[in-house]
Amino acid sequence: MRIGDVLGYSFSAIRLRKLRAGLTTLGVAIGIAAIVALLSFTAGLQVTMTQQFQEGFGADTLTVSSGGGIFGLLGGGSGDSDFSLLLNDTKAIDSIDHVESSVATMTKTIEANFSGDVVPVSLSGINFTAYSSMYSTFVAGAGSIPESPTDNDVVIGSSIADPWKNGTIVAEVGDEVSIIWTGRVNGSIVQTNYTGTVVAILEEIGGFGLGPSDMGFYIPMHWAVNFFHTDEISTIAVKIDTQDQTLIDTIIQEIEDMFDGLVTVTQPSAILDMMDSMLGILNIFLAGIASISLIVAGVGIMNIMIVSLIERTREIGILKGMGMRGRTVMGIFLSEAMMIGFLGGVVGIAAGVLIGNLIGGVVSNMGSSGLIPGGRSSAMSSIPNITPIFSIDLLAFAILFGVGVAVIFGIYPARRASKLNPVDALRSE
Amino acid sequence: MTATLEYTLNQEDFIPKVIEIRDLTKTYMMGQVPVQALRGVTLDVHKGDFIAFLGPSGSGKSTLLNMIGALDRPTTGTVLINGIDISTLGDNELADLRQSVGFVYQTFNLISRLDAIGNVELPLSIAGIEKKKRRSKAEVMLKIVGLGDRMHHKPSELSGGERQRVAVARALVTNPSFIIMDEPTGNLDSKTGLEIMEFAKRLNREQGITLIIVTHDPEIGSQARRTIHLRDGLIESDAVN
Repeated sequence: MRIGDVLGYSFSAIRLRKLRAGLTTLGVAIGIAAIVALLSFTAGLQVTMTQQFQEGFGADTLTVSSGGGIFGLLGGGSGDSDFSLLLNDTKAIDSIDHVESSVATMTKTIEANFSGDVVPVSLSGINFTAYSSMYSTFVAGAGSIPESPTDNDVVIGSSIADPWKNGTIVAEVGDEVSIIWTGRVNGSIVQTNYTGTVVAILEEIGGFGLGPSDMGFYIPMHWAVNFFHTDEISTIAVKIDTQDQTLIDTIIQEIEDMFDGLVTVTQPSAILDMMDSMLGILNIFLAGIASISLIVAGVGIMNIMIVSLIERTREIGILKGMGMRGRTVMGIFLSEAMMIGFLGGVVGIAAGVLIGNLIGGVVSNMGSSGLIPGGRSSAMSSIPNITPIFSIDLLAFAILFGVGVAVIFGIYPARRASKLNPVDALRSE
Repeated sequence: MTATLEYTLNQEDFIPKVIEIRDLTKTYMMGQVPVQALRGVTLDVHKGDFIAFLGPSGSGKSTLLNMIGALDRPTTGTVLINGIDISTLGDNELADLRQSVGFVYQTFNLISRLDAIGNVELPLSIAGIEKKKRRSKAEVMLKIVGLGDRMHHKPSELSGGERQRVAVARALVTNPSFIIMDEPTGNLDSKTGLEIMEFAKRLNREQGITLIIVTHDPEIGSQARRTIHLRDGLIESDAVN
């Protein structure tokens, strides 16, 4: 029997039981929709995160920090080591081959008072010129970043100036801001106040990283040294002029040796790799959950096909009596399962695309409307727009998975049909 | 000295045999109990024959029919269909052999979701014949059985006699070497039954189609040219009318 005729015959059988086939197809479609929606969303998340990360870190930038390294920093901690980097350490790092420049950052948590609006912020003492040459995102959206700043110049991130993105402006260029820091200097508790002037508001950056941030509050380094009575700094960003990984490894080793292994040197790509693998695990996890629903659908297919097998025993007998081979009978049953799987796959993909876009829309909306609590002081306030990605790979995988599950669960009933003895099958009612 | 030729030639010896059965026995298991349905049947069917198998239920008619129709294999003995020993065939070859046998059943056994022409096309489709060719063949065959105007009716829209004629068309369409009719009139009223039998006789007479009919009705059986009575798995009588 020709393949086209086998398919046509199977289709006529499916068409006869529209509701039954429809419900079975729906089961497959739900599973496929879940897979497509979840995986397209994580794919979008992955791309967005990677993009944000690359903006946050220069790809050619290493970060030197004391102790626990970058994960302590991302979490807001300062590491678990007593060792501190000092301002002058940049000079030593600059002397290493392939190091173009290095910039120190001193990070402190302070309260900034914008004429009554008190905002807890993470203050960074930096060299404005060096910092902007290191990070392309350190660019003024309003005002201008002074090349030789005076003591009271302040640069703030866009989310500090306009935290809700709804027109309620907390700070503008030219506004005065008073800074309160409580800390210990030489054993005694000191509360320091200072008044600065906002000279620039950064362009919106989005994302996260160790570079400039929308939540950043930047003052000149020499002022920070005076203000906090210290020259201990938090991190040193190191710009290198090579892409060669073995050279980069050598530089990392040299910096670590320079500080007796008390510092951690982090390469952005290492973090990216780790994030990728974390997202990979998330992906597998979500795909696993979605697959369960597809397996349930597969059991449904098997169930319905066994019912169909029992109902159509006589028909199988007639077909075999006319000289149809067992393999062809199997083909008829398998192609019925396949059609259900394929149709379910197509419907599921359509639904999955819809749901994926809905999830993406809802999440982006939460970010921009400040629905996430504590939006102002946490990094969550800068949730970027996540556009689900429906790659051809994903869609092909979804269809193949749907058809595959249908066929696998169809094998048993199809085999049973193919093995029916024509004499017995013809005798059945 | 001249030797006399002792052997007399029968007319039948010149006509090819479509079925040769030698010492056929068939035992099958009914639950735990072995049932000997055929106990040694020897029989030849020649091309162009019109044979009726008669006998009460349990006489082995259906079992014999299954052998002739290549649906089942013998326990012992041989069954040759078109010269091929069916006990040597695998499932696939046996299935292929069935394509050269036309079957007409008591209960018609049409596929209810296919229309008349779809049913007639089906054996051709199984034989792998392309759509256009099989459609025209099926049309011709339906016209022969007098259903040229009801080709696109589903079996449920046809009368019993019409359904049986579709079944006959389906059996004939592959141009089989013989046609087996299993109680073809069993589900029809006597008038329609006679019509079908008249049609069958005409096919045999005019087209030379080999017909094997199984029936328990002596009146139907008497219309065949040769009647074979079966009883308890053996041939009781074999007579030419």
